[in-house]
Amino acid sequence: MSPFSAVLRKDLLLEVRGGQSTVALGALSLLVLVVLVFAFNPGGGEQGAEAAAGALWVALVFSGMLGATRAVSAENENGCMRALLMSPLDRAALYAAKLAAAFIFMGIAEAASIILMVLFFNLEFDARVMRLVPAVLLGALGFAALATLLAAISSRLRGGDLVLPLLAVPMFVPALIAGVKASAAALAGAPLAGSAVWLKVLVAFDVMFVAAGYLLFEYVAGEE
Amino acid sequence: MSGRGVRLGLGLVAGALMLVALYMVFVYVPTEADQGIVQRIFYFHVPCAWVAFVSFALVAIAGIFYLWLGQQVWDDLGYAAAETGMVFCTLVLVTGSIWAKPIWGAWWTWDSRLTTTLILWLLYGGYLMLRAMAGDSEQGARFGAVVGIVAAIDVPIVIVSVRLWRTIHPAVLVTRQGGHGLEDPRMVATLLVSLAAFTALFIWLLCLRFVTLRMHTRLNALTRSLALAEAAAQDT
Repeated sequence: MSPFSAVLRKDLLLEVRGGQSTVALGALSLLVLVVLVFAFNPGGGEQGAEAAAGALWVALVFSGMLGATRAVSAENENGCMRALLMSPLDRAALYAAKLAAAFIFMGIAEAASIILMVLFFNLEFDARVMRLVPAVLLGALGFAALATLLAAISSRLRGGDLVLPLLAVPMFVPALIAGVKASAAALAGAPLAGSAVWLKVLVAFDVMFVAAGYLLFEYVAGEE
Repeated sequence: MSGRGVRLGLGLVAGALMLVALYMVFVYVPTEADQGIVQRIFYFHVPCAWVAFVSFALVAIAGIFYLWLGQQVWDDLGYAAAETGMVFCTLVLVTGSIWAKPIWGAWWTWDSRLTTTLILWLLYGGYLMLRAMAGDSEQGARFGAVVGIVAAIDVPIVIVSVRLWRTIHPAVLVTRQGGHGLEDPRMVATLLVSLAAFTALFIWLLCLRFVTLRMHTRLNALTRSLALAEAAAQDT
């Protein structure tokens, strides 16, 4: 078993046995959507679709922050991080495994949020909802890549929980703009080709941040 | 010439250039026909933006060298550049708002350049918060270097995405391109002198901050070795 799959398997096994992260992420996404429905009281039609797309991405940002923090900070308990760092495990492989775990948890939470969004914003379960998938998956990957790197920093600082959103949210802005635009177009029934430019921005963002995290993780991984 | 002499010289050059720039901005340059007196803030606004961008590029370059060579001097440079750049980035936003109110009729619009500058300001605000929380440790320096590099990677894609965001949507107000033709050669001269003055001011401030951080690093090292020596003396 490669080091990558060993760490990922451990994280997934922990999740299957305990199931805390996905439940917490799903619950947080639910709350964000409910709060945004109260805040904007969206009507139906085109405006409703735009509000729904925005709400979905706010939920993604919040659940992503929680997911990455949990994937990294779980290792800080009981000195697990020390054991991982002492093992002959490449730091980059550790990053890839943590990123994959955060991405999977976020993906599950996103699937739940999409269903809840359709219900709360009075949309239909049809092809339009399926067209959300590429943008949301790319966004989740980008945010997981960014937040895993930053969570390794913030989990080792006193008061670090504050630093994570302060750094992650402005850095995520390009993907947020592209994601909201692509999602709104998808929900409004526009063909996927129309959002190609936004999907390209998302792909570029993902490539850049996965590469940056992969290269830079070794400088931030360490003990508390 | 000693370091102190260099700094004094830099300060004098910056001060003299700034006086010339002030004279040119308020007396020498003709008032712009369409916008009137407000346009003069442009000669402060653009140099501030230039200096802010330079300093944020410096943060990333210093971060790369710090991670590569591991010398504290690179981190001191990066930290000093971030702090100085933040001052000028704030000035860009403030002078821009003061100009926008009479010309655009609003303090703020989500124009692509404004949005990009705001994101930049937020990014480096986050960097400074991180540095303040990490304290002056080797760990804080490493975290700062990583965040500085990642932020610099982020900037091009922020620019692209914000531009796409604003051009696909019709802009509420016309872009500023029409306003700044700089038809008069005196306007160009004033802008160039202002740029020189602000660059000199930036280098001077950066030097002061950098020297302070260097002294701080040395003081920390001395305190550590003193504590070690005391502990060794107690042992014997």
